[in-house]
Amino acid sequence: MRNGEIRVRDAGVCYRLYREKVSTLKEAVVNRFRHLRSAEIFWAVRHVSLEIEPGEAIALVGHNGSGKSTLLKTIAGVLMPDEGEVFVQGRISPMIELGAGFDPELSGRDNIFLNGALLGFSRKQMEGKFDRIVAFSELGDFIDMPIKNYSSGMYARLGFAIAQDVEPDILIVDEVLAVGDERFQEKCKARIRDFRSAGITFCFVSHNYEAARELCPRAAVLHHGRLAFDGPIGQAWERYRELERGPAPGPQIEAS
Amino acid sequence: MTELTEGAPGAGMLTPARRSPLRELVNYRQLVAMLVIRELKVRYKRSIFGLLWTMLNPLLLMVVYTVVFSTIMRAPRRNFAIFLLSGLLPWLFFSIAILQGLHSILVNQELIRKVRVPQAVFPLSVVGSNLVNFALSFVPLLLLMAVVRQPFTTALFFLPVAMLILTVFISGVTLLFATFTVFFRDVRHLAEVALQMLMYLSPVFYDLEMLGQHDTWWFRAFRVFLQVNPLSYLLGLVRDPVYYGRLPPLSGVALASAGALAVLFIGFSVFNRLAPRHIHYL
Ligand SMILES: Nc1ncnc2c1ncn2[C@@H]1O[C@H](COP(=O)(O)OP(=O)(O)OP(=O)(O)O)[C@@H](O)[C@H]1O
Ligand SMILES: [Mg+2]
Repeated sequence: MRNGEIRVRDAGVCYRLYREKVSTLKEAVVNRFRHLRSAEIFWAVRHVSLEIEPGEAIALVGHNGSGKSTLLKTIAGVLMPDEGEVFVQGRISPMIELGAGFDPELSGRDNIFLNGALLGFSRKQMEGKFDRIVAFSELGDFIDMPIKNYSSGMYARLGFAIAQDVEPDILIVDEVLAVGDERFQEKCKARIRDFRSAGITFCFVSHNYEAARELCPRAAVLHHGRLAFDGPIGQAWERYRELERGPAPGPQIEAS
Repeated sequence: MTELTEGAPGAGMLTPARRSPLRELVNYRQLVAMLVIRELKVRYKRSIFGLLWTMLNPLLLMVVYTVVFSTIMRAPRRNFAIFLLSGLLPWLFFSIAILQGLHSILVNQELIRKVRVPQAVFPLSVVGSNLVNFALSFVPLLLLMAVVRQPFTTALFFLPVAMLILTVFISGVTLLFATFTVFFRDVRHLAEVALQMLMYLSPVFYDLEMLGQHDTWWFRAFRVFLQVNPLSYLLGLVRDPVYYGRLPPLSGVALASAGALAVLFIGFSVFNRLAPRHIHYL
């Protein structure tokens, strides 16, 4: 496999759902041992196959709860597929959520190093990146403030600034650019385009057609965890709209 | 299965799932160090004395013990405060690391849900920060030893080895408790009660030599328990050099080291076996 390649073969990811509702004493007692009995199995993603070539940009679209984040987490290695196989080659910069792993009590500065370590970078490597990250985030003196005092946009800025500097082969962006102000969003998009021209694979989740079309020529439509379409983004979006006009979307729990 | 192979040479970020968890952990050693520092930083934030509390704490304990056992109660031993502390400090290392460590997966669940990271770093960093505390508490202990004229012997040079063995053992136990707590939240309450009992059933406030002989079946059972209790050997690793000014018996050291390594091996294996399922129970 080449760096930046992603192969998803008939992958399925399930969650175990435990209902919190308790109506009888017996249920209350039984619920104490709920981990022991089999729970309701919910397949958030099932029978999904995707081949993504190095340098390709793909958008994932689908209704809320269709399994986009779950699929991305599986690609990022946070979740293990319960069925099928997921092969990923290369370094992943997971922006499953910007600033995942930030500690609100620590300063921006400390969080840069902490986040770097979470991504597998040594302190030395991060020192080399530090000034660039701070410059990209445009946080200036706020970098030494505890980040619990940051606004959500500032939080996202720092998160993206770190993620964009970790030399990824695969970039995963799960609907995270929305909190930045317009100027910062433009900056992020420009950076993402740079990445793409450098041959970095790009997976993007967005509910915004304009944003997705701008960055990705290809799109995969997820519908209740199944792959409903995979192809050019124009057609994909039509298919997505068509599906949404059908029976009410939103999570449905099916027995497996 | 997710298979992740390393990207650019030296990238060192993504390691294949089939590579040993130990290797992966070694790659993330910087993260463990950073989490230890974070823990200490957050714990002592906005406190004037900061890390000094780590040393003040045992110092205050020592003062109380010294006063109690030199004036109020007749101490069964000379320098009884030193005797107590040499058992109590490693005990506190053990019990606090476990009680904090068993929460570590739950506390870091936001991260575990979002970032691919070997989860063992969380309990291990709790052990690490408690090791720092434990090591620092020797500063006041040695001070007090000087004050009460407890002889310093070369056996004290054994202490780093003792700390290492203790850390290995405690890491194994903490890993086990951390993963079990994810599946059964009752583990925490169980651990609290069990540790309370274990404190009295381990040579913390007494030791084998002090027990004397009674000819009752329960006393014999108690002695047998003390002999199989790994803490008897582990606490001795500190008490022998500090209080008795002698090296612990070689057999004891060998037993403690072998036991500690076995516990770490079991803890680490079980933890890594169960870790992929944690995310479903968080
Ligand atoms: N930790 C979890 N435990 C149980 N069920 C979960 C968990 N995470 C997600 N799910 C379920 O899996 C389904 C897919 O969730 P996912 O987050 O992948 O959706 P999504 O496509 O990213 O939605 P959105 O557009 O809202 O971000 C949802 O029905 C959700 O309820
Ligand atoms: Mg999502």
